[in-house]
Amino acid sequence: MISKTIKTLLGTAFLALTALAGTPNSVYAHGEKALEPFIRMRTIQWYDVQWTQNKLEINDEVVITGKFHVAKDWPRSVPRPEATYLNVSSPGPVFIRTERYLNGQPWVSSAALQLGGDYDFKIVLKARLPGNFHIHPFFNLQDAGAVMGPGHWIEVAGDPAAFANKVTTIDGEVIEMESYGFANGVFWHVLWIGLGTAWLLWWVRRPLFIPRYKMLKSGMEDSLITSLDKTFAIVIIVAVPVFVLGAYAVTDSRYPNTIPLQAASDQIDPLSPTVNDGTVRIKGIRTEYRVPNRSMNMVMRINNLSDQPLRIGEFATANLRFINPSAGLSAENSALDQGPVAQEGLKVDSGEPIQPGETRTVRLAAADGLWETEKLEGLFRDADSRLGALLFFYSATGERHIASISSAVIPKFD
Amino acid sequence: MATSVFDLPPQPYTGEKARLTRAYDYLILVLALFLFIGAFHLHVALTVGDWDFWLDWKDRQWWPLVTPLMMITFPAAVQAVLWTHFRLPLGATLCMACLLIGTWITRIFAYHYWNYFPINMVLPATMMPSALVLDVILMLSNSLTVTSIFGGMSFALLFYPSNWPIFAQFYQPVEYGNSQLTVADVYGFQYIRAGIPEYLRIIERGTLRTYGQFATPLSAFCSALLCTLMYPLWWQLGKWFATTQYLKKI
Repeated sequence: MISKTIKTLLGTAFLALTALAGTPNSVYAHGEKALEPFIRMRTIQWYDVQWTQNKLEINDEVVITGKFHVAKDWPRSVPRPEATYLNVSSPGPVFIRTERYLNGQPWVSSAALQLGGDYDFKIVLKARLPGNFHIHPFFNLQDAGAVMGPGHWIEVAGDPAAFANKVTTIDGEVIEMESYGFANGVFWHVLWIGLGTAWLLWWVRRPLFIPRYKMLKSGMEDSLITSLDKTFAIVIIVAVPVFVLGAYAVTDSRYPNTIPLQAASDQIDPLSPTVNDGTVRIKGIRTEYRVPNRSMNMVMRINNLSDQPLRIGEFATANLRFINPSAGLSAENSALDQGPVAQEGLKVDSGEPIQPGETRTVRLAAADGLWETEKLEGLFRDADSRLGALLFFYSATGERHIASISSAVIPKFD
Repeated sequence: MATSVFDLPPQPYTGEKARLTRAYDYLILVLALFLFIGAFHLHVALTVGDWDFWLDWKDRQWWPLVTPLMMITFPAAVQAVLWTHFRLPLGATLCMACLLIGTWITRIFAYHYWNYFPINMVLPATMMPSALVLDVILMLSNSLTVTSIFGGMSFALLFYPSNWPIFAQFYQPVEYGNSQLTVADVYGFQYIRAGIPEYLRIIERGTLRTYGQFATPLSAFCSALLCTLMYPLWWQLGKWFATTQYLKKI
């Protein structure tokens, strides 16, 4: 009875799993919320990320531009960014990356970043396959993982057979990357597999295991390897190396200017400071995360060293943006990138701008359910529960100043 | 009566016995085919891995060092069984044929159709010439020692020249992004691999540059030396795992 029940349960579970596997649900995420909050907040701090278009034909190009600040309060448990790679999160090479720049400098390899440094980037992608793709710029950080930038949907239409990707070698040869060297590679593989198969068939055509075992054990070893077998073996042992070396020499003469794979790192200096450029100084006093309200409440001392009154317009961390509605930002400023935005998520205790030379203690509250949906509310459960963020200040003339924030976070559960 | 080169030497079984033993041969061969396609392919994917997967990992130092060293393993073990008990000098060639079948299936279906990489970017290397020579050295010498030394060395030393006709054209220089790159490097830059950033490549690292730019011969001879040691090690593993106790009852 019990075994019948167990069998019924197992059968039901199997059917349920099979039905679940057959459900045509697509998965669109790239694990961008999987990394611990303190790494997403305090390593690469993205802002102003933009795409030139979101509908393309095959062979069209889309350009991603943006900026990022490398947090100075870099987590101790994350290796320093001595080898980094600005990548694109996409479902395989549905685009090819034709160009990439960091601070205006072409960037084809990996590079080190400086803590506290400011950078701008540009990536040019060329559409290769049709479909609707969610694309993120992101940083591979050696021994740390992938820190995602904001994502964006791009629709590509057209015939994939029309895709072309021509590259010119230094010798002036124009090659089509989609097919270059393929026929040659197949030729050599077929040739060697053919010769190997001939050798296998030479032996497999005769009775194999039981008869040969019996003959070997009964002292008939000489009958198992004939003189003709030995002749073939001698031909192989001479002809194969001669042929291999001959083909090597012919190939070498055909491509005399080959070089080894290139393994150098690119050397790219940060821009002159954009974040923490000296016009605004911030000292964090206390930061609490109120769990029931999903609200990050911050008290900080802000010193305006610029010559204009400044309002706090935006608080941004880990691609999450909280806009202060009373700052009167233009639509352009409040929707520059495609990251999740809480359009009225930032509250400042005083609506008065901070005057030039004034030092004021300010209370800020960045509150929205996005803390939870973006899986950042678990910061206080991290081993390194410190907040890292950017605070955007605006003058009446629209001038923008950015300062970084770094502070320990105290959770409040009631 | 005229004889042909294809005539077989006298066999111990005739009639029904011969038919049954032949059926057994085919059964074992089919099983071996699938076993080696799966097991050897998995072994190479886990040990040689990216060096065999991608054009821009096939450097002149680590690729010719790691590939023969990791690919002589199964051939040695299978040779230990097939030669010791059956005097069949085809263990290495069989392994390589199975490996290439598995590899090509993977490159076409997993890398190209599933993940959209052009197949030329994921062309596998071949060790078929090395395997043929390894098999015939074992056959002609009938000696583990001789095969370890000369077979192991040949296996490694033939690797790079065997593959140069396939891959040389991908090492042509290209001016790209104000840098000198190989065509292979350009593939690595252009065709997006989210999980394999450039800095993960283990290429051109280490101290094998003692003789300036002649890194490949050094790597090849280093690999040859290691293969002479790896070969008997895996021969013993094959011997240890193999059994003919069921054959003795027949």
